Amino acid sequence: MKTSKLYHAFSIAGLVLSCLALIWFLTKNTEANQLRLGLLTMLCTAIAVWLGVRFFYQLQMQNIRQKLYQTFQTLESFDTDEFTASPVEKRAFKTINELNDYLQDLIRRLQEHYQANKQFTANAAHELQTPLAIIKGNIELLIQSPRLGKKEMEALGIILNNTNRLARLNAALILLSKIQNKRFSDLEKVDIIKVVEEVLENFKDLIQVQELEIQKKYAPPLTVNMSATLAEILVANLIQNAIRHNTEKGWIKIEIQQRTLRISNPGKFLEVEPASLFKRFKRDTDIEESLGLGLSIVKRICDQYQHGLRYLHEKGIHTLEVNF
Amino acid sequence: MKILIIEDEEDLQKLMQRYLKKEGYLCESAFTFNEGYKRLNNYQYDCVIVDLNLPGGSGLNLVKILRQESPETGVIIISAKDTTDDRILGLNQGADDYLTKPFNLSELNARINAVLRRKLNITSKEMDFGRLKIKLDSREVLASGQPLKLTKKEYDILLYLARNKNRVVTKDAIAEYLWGDYMDDAVSFDFIYAHVKNLRKKLAEHDCGDYLTTIYGIGYKFISS
Repeated sequence: MKTSKLYHAFSIAGLVLSCLALIWFLTKNTEANQLRLGLLTMLCTAIAVWLGVRFFYQLQMQNIRQKLYQTFQTLESFDTDEFTASPVEKRAFKTINELNDYLQDLIRRLQEHYQANKQFTANAAHELQTPLAIIKGNIELLIQSPRLGKKEMEALGIILNNTNRLARLNAALILLSKIQNKRFSDLEKVDIIKVVEEVLENFKDLIQVQELEIQKKYAPPLTVNMSATLAEILVANLIQNAIRHNTEKGWIKIEIQQRTLRISNPGKFLEVEPASLFKRFKRDTDIEESLGLGLSIVKRICDQYQHGLRYLHEKGIHTLEVNF
Repeated sequence: MKILIIEDEEDLQKLMQRYLKKEGYLCESAFTFNEGYKRLNNYQYDCVIVDLNLPGGSGLNLVKILRQESPETGVIIISAKDTTDDRILGLNQGADDYLTKPFNLSELNARINAVLRRKLNITSKEMDFGRLKIKLDSREVLASGQPLKLTKKEYDILLYLARNKNRVVTKDAIAEYLWGDYMDDAVSFDFIYAHVKNLRKKLAEHDCGDYLTTIYGIGYKFISS
């Protein structure tokens, strides 16, 4: 808007100036002057036209750049969960309008697909819950029967274990989709050291049975504004992970410094790309019971609060680092 | 002991009926809010198991009504709603316990057991299995008259199995009872195995080794005639 006003002022000033020059020449009415006048007028006009075109062109370019920048900004703020396509004002640039329309349409479709996908996961998980509970319950009932032989019991044991696996998997998926749907929106001042201590207390026996040594290094208290439930799930998953993927008689080092929680443990060498560890169902272990969902739950929680999450690996030591 | 189960999911209703009947309870069923309401009005129960999401109304209202009219009846809510708020709301209305679906039947059984004991005001806070006695308030275990030195988790496991006596209890149910939802098997099963082994050794030292048996690949059973 500003630049186009400037442009108008500029062109009006130019016009007034050339008019004044014309009047001045016309008052000195000689033949040579007339010729000079003709040439000069032509030259002036040419220069004026050239300047005008150039100026106009630059203005237009600036305008286009601005419009494109607006579009980029809109794209940059695109978040599948929250994005609402705000209409970009329509101006003279047909191509840019077309581009915007196209992008808006694309975004709308992307969102629709994404929402449908999310909804499907949530629904599927919920719908599976009851049948799984009924299967589990009936196995529990069946194994009470005194008429069953050893072979039947063994088969039932296998069915039971796998049903349990499915049920846990399902519970984890439900949790993931709950986090995604912002079901834990309560904010509290959470004392991370306290959470770590509680989790350690809960897993104390498991740590003892594996003869793991716990090394703690706490700097001054770290309080984080987040859901207390999610904080507990986050820490529990990290520590559980460190217990499960540890070496025999190994150790777990828990460091809290400034805004960082760092948990490291010795373990086997990774066979998959570290970054892919946070993806669902990626795991690098022969532990069958591991679901491969623990770290994606951790990642989800970190994403929700924009906490940084890093995985480091050096000389057989695995470290997961959360930056609150 | 008479128990009313108010639950609209037919398979789950049937399952609980069968399981609890085996336990020696007299079970009746209601599938809707109105049905439950009528039964509660007409009959007396020792314990009521109620789902929150019922056709025709919320189970929470049934809990409220029940509390006013028959305070001595035990109430256990079973619900798919699993937030702390739901739990607190249910307990505030006067429920004795709140169990989140899906649950293990042995867990339900243990909770009913505990609620009934509380309601019946059993003064001797002791479970007596002959040579083996569990003192609930002091968390003491006497084997052939001798006190056993058990760790906290060993005691918890023993108590859970005893509450489900003569039933096969799965490792999964024990793990969930000990650590809540998010403990994975691999590690916790090893742990349970190690602890049951220790527990049995301690029991055997006092001639009580035969109370616990292992059901291969599935879990454990507390045997008491």
